[in-house]
Amino acid sequence: MLDRSAAVKPAAKQAKTQATAQADGPVDAAHRQGAVDVVDTEIIRHTLNSAANQMKNALVRSAFSPIIYEVLDFAVALYDRKIRLLAQAPSLPLFMGTLSFCIEAAIKALGGEGNIEPGDVILYNWPFGTGAHAQDAALIQPVFTSDNEHLIGYAVIKAHWLDIGANTMYCTNTTDVYQEGTFFPGIKLYRKGERVDDVYRCVLANSRLPKVLAGDIKAQIGGLRIGARELTRIVDRFGRGYFERTVERIFDHGEATVRSYFDKLPDGIYVGEGLMDNNGIDDKVIPFKVKLTISGSAVCLDFSDCPDSQPGPVNCPLATTVSASRIAISMLAGGNEAPTEGHFRAVEVITRKGSLFDPQPPAPCFLYGWPAMQAIEVIYQALSKLAPEAVPACSGGDICSLVWWGTREKTGEPWADGSPFPVGHGAHAHGDGVTMMHVAESATRFASLEVMEARNPWLVEGCEFNPDSCGAGRHRGGLGYDLSYRLLEDAYVTPAIERTVAAPWGIAGGRDGTPNGASVKYPDGSERRVAKATAMRLPKGALFTIHAGGGAGYGPPGERPAEDVQRDLEGGYITEAYAQRHYPHVFECRFDQ
Amino acid sequence: MSTRIGIDVGGTFTDLIFYDEASGATRIAKAPTTADSPDKGCMSVIKEAVGEDRLASAEFFLHGTTVGLNAILERKGSAVGLLCTRGFRDLLEIRRGDRAEMYNLFWQLKDPIVSRRFRLPVAGRIMADGSERAPLSIADIHAAFRVFERHGIDSIAICFMNAYANPRHELDAEQALRSLGFAGNISLSHRVSGEYHEYERTSTSVIDAFVKARLNNYLQRLKAQLSDCGFSGMCLITRSGGGAMTFDEASARSFETLMSGPVAGAEGAAEIARRMGIEHLISADVGGTSFDACLISQGRPKLLFEGRIDGMPLQTPWVDVRSIGAGGGSLAYIDRGGLLRVGPQSAGAAPGPACYGQGGAAPCVTDAALWLGMLGDGRFESGLKLNVECAQAALTALGGKLQVSADDVSRGIMQIACTTMANTIKEIALEDGLDPRQMPLLAFGGAGPLLATLIAGELDSAQIIVPLHAGNFSAWGMLGSDLVRSLSRTRIMPLTENALEEASKNFADLFKQLDEGLEKSTQTGTLKREIGLEMRFIGQEHTLTVMPPCDHGRIASDPAALRTLFLAQYASTFGMSMDDPLEIVSLRATLRRALPARNVTATVSSAGDVGAQTFDAYSFAQGRRVSFSVVDRAALLIGTVYEGPMIVREATTSSYIDAGYKVEIDAHGCMMIGRTG
Repeated sequence: MLDRSAAVKPAAKQAKTQATAQADGPVDAAHRQGAVDVVDTEIIRHTLNSAANQMKNALVRSAFSPIIYEVLDFAVALYDRKIRLLAQAPSLPLFMGTLSFCIEAAIKALGGEGNIEPGDVILYNWPFGTGAHAQDAALIQPVFTSDNEHLIGYAVIKAHWLDIGANTMYCTNTTDVYQEGTFFPGIKLYRKGERVDDVYRCVLANSRLPKVLAGDIKAQIGGLRIGARELTRIVDRFGRGYFERTVERIFDHGEATVRSYFDKLPDGIYVGEGLMDNNGIDDKVIPFKVKLTISGSAVCLDFSDCPDSQPGPVNCPLATTVSASRIAISMLAGGNEAPTEGHFRAVEVITRKGSLFDPQPPAPCFLYGWPAMQAIEVIYQALSKLAPEAVPACSGGDICSLVWWGTREKTGEPWADGSPFPVGHGAHAHGDGVTMMHVAESATRFASLEVMEARNPWLVEGCEFNPDSCGAGRHRGGLGYDLSYRLLEDAYVTPAIERTVAAPWGIAGGRDGTPNGASVKYPDGSERRVAKATAMRLPKGALFTIHAGGGAGYGPPGERPAEDVQRDLEGGYITEAYAQRHYPHVFECRFDQ
Repeated sequence: MSTRIGIDVGGTFTDLIFYDEASGATRIAKAPTTADSPDKGCMSVIKEAVGEDRLASAEFFLHGTTVGLNAILERKGSAVGLLCTRGFRDLLEIRRGDRAEMYNLFWQLKDPIVSRRFRLPVAGRIMADGSERAPLSIADIHAAFRVFERHGIDSIAICFMNAYANPRHELDAEQALRSLGFAGNISLSHRVSGEYHEYERTSTSVIDAFVKARLNNYLQRLKAQLSDCGFSGMCLITRSGGGAMTFDEASARSFETLMSGPVAGAEGAAEIARRMGIEHLISADVGGTSFDACLISQGRPKLLFEGRIDGMPLQTPWVDVRSIGAGGGSLAYIDRGGLLRVGPQSAGAAPGPACYGQGGAAPCVTDAALWLGMLGDGRFESGLKLNVECAQAALTALGGKLQVSADDVSRGIMQIACTTMANTIKEIALEDGLDPRQMPLLAFGGAGPLLATLIAGELDSAQIIVPLHAGNFSAWGMLGSDLVRSLSRTRIMPLTENALEEASKNFADLFKQLDEGLEKSTQTGTLKREIGLEMRFIGQEHTLTVMPPCDHGRIASDPAALRTLFLAQYASTFGMSMDDPLEIVSLRATLRRALPARNVTATVSSAGDVGAQTFDAYSFAQGRRVSFSVVDRAALLIGTVYEGPMIVREATTSSYIDAGYKVEIDAHGCMMIGRTG
């Protein structure tokens, strides 16, 4: 049965959208009773974005875990009273626009708006409301006017907590959601500005790293307070009614921005096809399809034609399916700026309940982000059939995530660390691919290798490109690389690496790149390939290597200029044999001379 | 003796400022920058504005230049080779995996300073604790050198893993290159920066290796010409991290000089804050293309320890000047979604704003200001006459698209530009836990005094200061530079007595290095030693810099006092505190010597007749055009309070003082602008 749970529907399918500017005369306070002024709109839009930035700065600079301050595994945002995205600071794109689902679910759990008060902070981390795993915990502060009379919106920070009590620090083999962490289904961590200590102690009691968690929660609260204060200031300054009307204009602007992009593309239906390695439990590949429909200025992404939800944790709850769609579309059509709710209006997402992209409890979903990253690439693949110049070729398609922990030999102190890593990116009409973080985590940095060595019992033996790992083409893909850790003490690692089977696809005649992988060399000389594995024990002396994949190429390799091939050869990005195989035209030229 | 000359070479103009101790007079001049050899422009403006007699009497020559910066932007520098630890050849390309524009699917990495074929690996490994795990391979160095030699590499950077903890391998590699006969520059990463973060240290080292020769040639050429003209004083160049260093020091640490222009303005603002005893102040420098803001706290510009040029990190002290693309030349346009936007694109020098009459059709902030009457009749002392008709045509066309009048669109442009600026200031203040409403705004640059009351209105701040020479304030700020040398070192250790002992030993070593060669560089002023400790709660990454009392380069404090100091700073920055243990991460040693003080006094001509001249301009406070009195700055008397609306004109800028604001000139000639009533 096809259950059409349309997550986001366009307000109306406008064939052509005209930017509607308001012509209502002066801006001054006296006129603010009337229609919305275009200048105020821009002022409020900019000021809301600035407020979100301030929330982010406060969080990053006081957080305790690298997953927040370095990986930026969080989202900070301001929402209006109707739970529509006002502004979001540059952070984890994969969380883009998932927070509305958390707020809705949390407020509903509390019994509605009537049960929230100024100074409350609500904790919510139920995966089928957040779209994520239990570790991605949302703290939500309702925001009121300065007289505390009127609810005006919400400040929200969803951040990755290093541990909140799953089977292990990071899981790739759970079979239901209850193995994945402790849940807080919309409860008050702060009530009227006072911390509810019973709840707080309960949260910390469920973490293997309570000190780190306490620090991160403080940082999260600090960010919320700033966001709430700024939102109140803006509304106080402009007046509630005027603010609300202006916000509509801001959303219209976002919508018009996206629609003007799709207006220019021809209508049609295109299907992208993806392939996941496995579900973490068994070894079968999981093929899936996304159907993209462009009609007029609207775009619809239909995930109905995908497998049922999986027995392993690669299920992607609805909120993240919607978010993945929103990232894919905003990156294309959002004019290189942070989106608002309006940017999402022209995007309809259709899913099938009980499927990989809309699982229902108690489906496990620890690795929810992995199918989401695949979905983004597949959406671009579908678009490439229509307009190859509009999208990049496929990247390594993953973040090659590692989570480590252990106990220090000398001190007996527990330690833990985790990071995503860059992959080679697909080439595109404008140039070669770059080696960087996946678009789903495009603001993220991985930790400095010297910092890693100073912090944990590792020796990093290398971090260097793999020659020939790029897909050939007029523009070549970004290089993949090997990153190796030598264990100086016993430790555990959970690698969660996807796309180790199918190579990144080239577009417009470009060649495929190389898939991701990882391997362990044990002190006894034995070797093992790994991709997803939970809590692998690594003895002192073992060498763990990520083989990050290389991006695919764009355009026929025969069109790559000889000087570019020459430069790749001189730099050792490619070998002579690779060049002979993919770029024979360059050698023919040489013989001609 | 404190007579001095400052020259700030910008992209378009070379600004000169001359302070003559004998007369107490300050003189300013401007000449076009001679991009091919900026020294020519410098010398001609000196000869014209100062003359050889006075040049011979000057004690100091202070210089800000974009020569090093341009070398990077244009990728015109030395042929650089890099020796790196085997296995780490691609740090400059893998970086930290981030991209400068997170929403840009097609983001491209600019070519690294050193191409991959000249980034060559050397076996050998130092551990994070400084111990050696594998010996340095001299054979690898020989092999690499043969490649360098064959390809004309004339400058070599060496950056090995964990060299911050133990520099032995870098020193041995340098020795090996010299014994192979390499005579060119060698930049060792641990000398460039003693701190961890291999990518950032590598990036800084290759930048140093890349710009050094070009910058030195330029400085030596300039010094020779100055001395030919009779100058026998000290030649100084400004540092990205504040203060100035001698040309000789700059030849050893070129990477410290790359960002000097905006920093000089912040330094000037700090001098004013110190003089007035203002605890926190925000400097707002608005030029043609950018708005540069900096927080001045306790009389010093806020300092960072990492900067960025053209997307590449530099691990070096860096005055935290935030720059956004908003200035007089910022273009206004309707975006794809139908909103009015201002900047960051700029009309530049050509065609410039529409009112320059050089064919610019798109309206800029300057056009809006002119149309609203904020620039008076648009005539300037320099003879420049702005064309109101051209501005009107551009604004009317833009307004037409929004169905509003030229007046309305102009107001909108001004308000949007000022909101953007005010939001930047808010973010800067709040990052340090400060309230922007409580801080005076120091406005300068060509367009700063024009926008000051609007920005202050947006921030709700009570006090604006427009300094003397506001249009050339960056050059003025340069004249007040201290001589500064600094070094840093990462040493991670929990905060204990022993750690402080260890830190003091390290400081002794750092100060010893800083003292070397100091005697011959300067004898003036008192020498001040400053120590900074980067500290954090154990478990955190980000640090705060704590400045404990210092006794001859030793930490004159104990763990308990340091903890109190840190907690207070943490609480004021983040509004909360914790009871976790602390650790020291990095040590920062600074030597500072002030140049002899300048005797700055206001020069007031005879009182002008305020109100004799008026101009109808738009008042944002009153929402309509009203009559502004137009007056020359030199005609304002010290101690008299003047009430807006008024426009105050001076040689290189003009101040727009809206109704509801009043102006008073203080004893040092600063215009103090506050609200009436």
